[in-house]
Amino acid sequence: MTHFIPKLAVVGLVASASFVLAQDYNAAPPMGQLNAALSDDRTLFNVTIDSRPDDDLLELGRLVAMGGAQKGGSGMACIACHGANGQGDGSGAFPRLAGQAGWYSYKQLMDYASGARPNPIMSGIAQRLTEREMEAVAAYYAAMDSPYLPVLGDVPASLLQWGGQLGAVGSAERGIPACVNCHGAAGSGLPPSVPYLAGQYATYSAYQLKLWRDGVRNNDAMNVMSSIASKMTDEDMKAVAEYYARVRPMLPVAGE
Amino acid sequence: MAERTLPKTDIVIIGGGWTGLTVAYEMAHEGKKCVILERGEHRHDATSFGGPEEHDELKYALHYKHMVDVKKETLTFRNGRDQQALPMRRLGSFLPGTGLGGAGIHWNGQLWRPLPSDLNMRSHYEERYGKGIFSDDLTVQDWGVTYDELEPHFNFFERICGTAGASGNLNGEIVPGGNPFEGRRSADFPNPPMVQPVAPRLFAKSAENMGYSPFPFPSANVTKAYVNPYGAQLHPCTYCGFCERFGCGYFAKADPIICVYDRIKEHENFEIRFESQVLRVNKSADGKTATGVTYLDADGVEVFQPADIVCMNAFSLWNVHLMLVSELGTAYDPATRTGTVGRNYAYQTLAGVDVFFDDQVFTNPFMGAGALGMVIDDFNGDNFDHAGLGFVGGAYVACSQTNGRPISYQPTPEGTPAWGADWKRAVRENYLHHAGLTVHGSSMSTHENYLDLDPTWRDAFGRPLLRMTFNFPENDRRMADYVMNKTAEIARNMDHVTSTRASSLAAQDYSIVPYQTTHNVGGAVMGTDPKTSVVNRFGQMWDHHNVFVFGACLFPQNVGYNPTGPLMGLAYWTIAHMKSDYIPNPRPLMDA
Repeated sequence: MTHFIPKLAVVGLVASASFVLAQDYNAAPPMGQLNAALSDDRTLFNVTIDSRPDDDLLELGRLVAMGGAQKGGSGMACIACHGANGQGDGSGAFPRLAGQAGWYSYKQLMDYASGARPNPIMSGIAQRLTEREMEAVAAYYAAMDSPYLPVLGDVPASLLQWGGQLGAVGSAERGIPACVNCHGAAGSGLPPSVPYLAGQYATYSAYQLKLWRDGVRNNDAMNVMSSIASKMTDEDMKAVAEYYARVRPMLPVAGE
Repeated sequence: MAERTLPKTDIVIIGGGWTGLTVAYEMAHEGKKCVILERGEHRHDATSFGGPEEHDELKYALHYKHMVDVKKETLTFRNGRDQQALPMRRLGSFLPGTGLGGAGIHWNGQLWRPLPSDLNMRSHYEERYGKGIFSDDLTVQDWGVTYDELEPHFNFFERICGTAGASGNLNGEIVPGGNPFEGRRSADFPNPPMVQPVAPRLFAKSAENMGYSPFPFPSANVTKAYVNPYGAQLHPCTYCGFCERFGCGYFAKADPIICVYDRIKEHENFEIRFESQVLRVNKSADGKTATGVTYLDADGVEVFQPADIVCMNAFSLWNVHLMLVSELGTAYDPATRTGTVGRNYAYQTLAGVDVFFDDQVFTNPFMGAGALGMVIDDFNGDNFDHAGLGFVGGAYVACSQTNGRPISYQPTPEGTPAWGADWKRAVRENYLHHAGLTVHGSSMSTHENYLDLDPTWRDAFGRPLLRMTFNFPENDRRMADYVMNKTAEIARNMDHVTSTRASSLAAQDYSIVPYQTTHNVGGAVMGTDPKTSVVNRFGQMWDHHNVFVFGACLFPQNVGYNPTGPLMGLAYWTIAHMKSDYIPNPRPLMDA
């Protein structure tokens, strides 16, 4: 039987380092390693609707990530901002994609293209990809298991505590459901449709919550996130975002 | 004698579920000091029902962690008076809740109104078909209240829950896409219907082709961000598939905690005491009124809480039990057919048809919600001609998609062995290609189905256990067969069907072991004649005018619908008359 145990839940409560890593294009994981992840839930679970992801799909995904593709490519390589290993960028402007639920990433590309999730950079990129290429690049990043960049910034422990509380049990007083309801224990995500929060950059997560609250981002199936975000203060958003930036997802380990 | 006597309160309320919290909300705003005594513990949607912990099928669906503890309180059961009743030591057929919110926490959110003709059932049928329509064993009677009287209250409760659905009769006008048989609605549903999955769509298509009128399940699984009339904010449902037997951590299934409790808990006239087990209702020396209730507090101290008004808001079975152990009213005696408390206990008559599809149809059962599905009402109540059928009543037929949970959802076609490699293969092959059609039928009351006190067994507090004597009446067995066969026709007419499998729980004697439904009704029924009812048409006890009774125990027989909508309509009706008629001048509101 396989049990899930938290792997050192919160890292670097107060991180003092404040540097941003430049993208290292040689950090792309070898394809053999990615092929091994094809049977992983994040990759396998409904990345595509009609067929299982295979190594051809991953090859295409790598091509898209590097900036090439059928219609002349997206015009911009994913790796330029999100990194060859999907780590994103420590600045938080560009989210971590490595290991993100494949179908979720694919749907985000579709929504960028349609305008359901408007973004001046991503919308133009997504519109230049075919649907197959969106699937491919989503599968490519889903298959990755990349290390985490150091968490930046000094955050008071009380804020992290509040974020952890909102994440775990929400707020009965203000009617805010807990993040773990949908985003899984320790924010590990629930593929195919619910993204992980653990290890995602705080500025990115907090900004998304604001976009939901303001009605700019409106692309989850049942409009659940807008209802939740509308009850949250800026402080709440910062708290959960900073908390989850420091949580690492639970990893399956052999149990007793 | 109680060890302690507390200062008097205006209203003492037994039970902190849908009806109890609602009475407290309304009466606290009326300036009355309300005290709720809840036997279970405090809990809250945000802190108690969040996933992933709440989505533990074993703990909640199979080990019943939100349900009553049968080691403390249970009942004894037998099929007939010639049998020895034995205690129910494990929950099965029905699942009463405990704790804040009561069974309103683990309901599915299937929120119905009764048909107008359901409420004057005896006179309606006798007028249409003649007196012979009822067989002699049936004790069906009118409710003493009409649909039009209750309509504003049904309407209001639907708003409390943010109910999602499609109207079929809006102010007398039949609206396509809704239930054409329903009573007049004075307002549309507050929220649009749920998004229907594949199987319910196939069912609706088949039913429509056969001339029936499918419509979306009226659902308290909310479809949009919504603020109810009390100010509670509800969120859209995520179709997670954990409604029945679970609390909702998403604020999406309307429940008494978020819809009512959160909006009243800070009020100066409101108080709730948890872990307070009411033992009996106390009567005055002349027996004409109640003086308050005696309960065991959290420390095990016996406390007397005096009150001007006693409201009985426990689960329907426990309301009847409390009346019997408190000697309120007169207990029903089936030998002489006299007395009323315990009389006309009824249930719900369920049948179903499993439908299996070929591999072109993916039903994705894990995408579910408690009240997600499509329904037809063509065979419910008196919506169809009963002449010559040999029964009264009916059932709605629903293709609902509540869950695809791994332990309990293992549909296999007829002929599959019950275990082993072939069974495993069949589960694998059919999990994504199955739909369940539910036949949810009425239950008629009889002289022989009743509740009384058990002569042998006692609960943890030394009180005699409630004894249930129940079997399916012949009338209901026929009804279930009839509607089940109609349902099987619809099933076979669905696209991509490979096989169907029909079964009726009423085909055998009633058993309390397999789960059927928690729709236990009657036992303290309402009416206009004190010889055949415990409370008058306002929910007030005939024998004790300051005792008001709430819940499904008021139903003289069961309708073909889920009881929460009807019983909450009655609750608001009773509350309205308490406010306008009783409190200004406390007295019997009807002459006996």
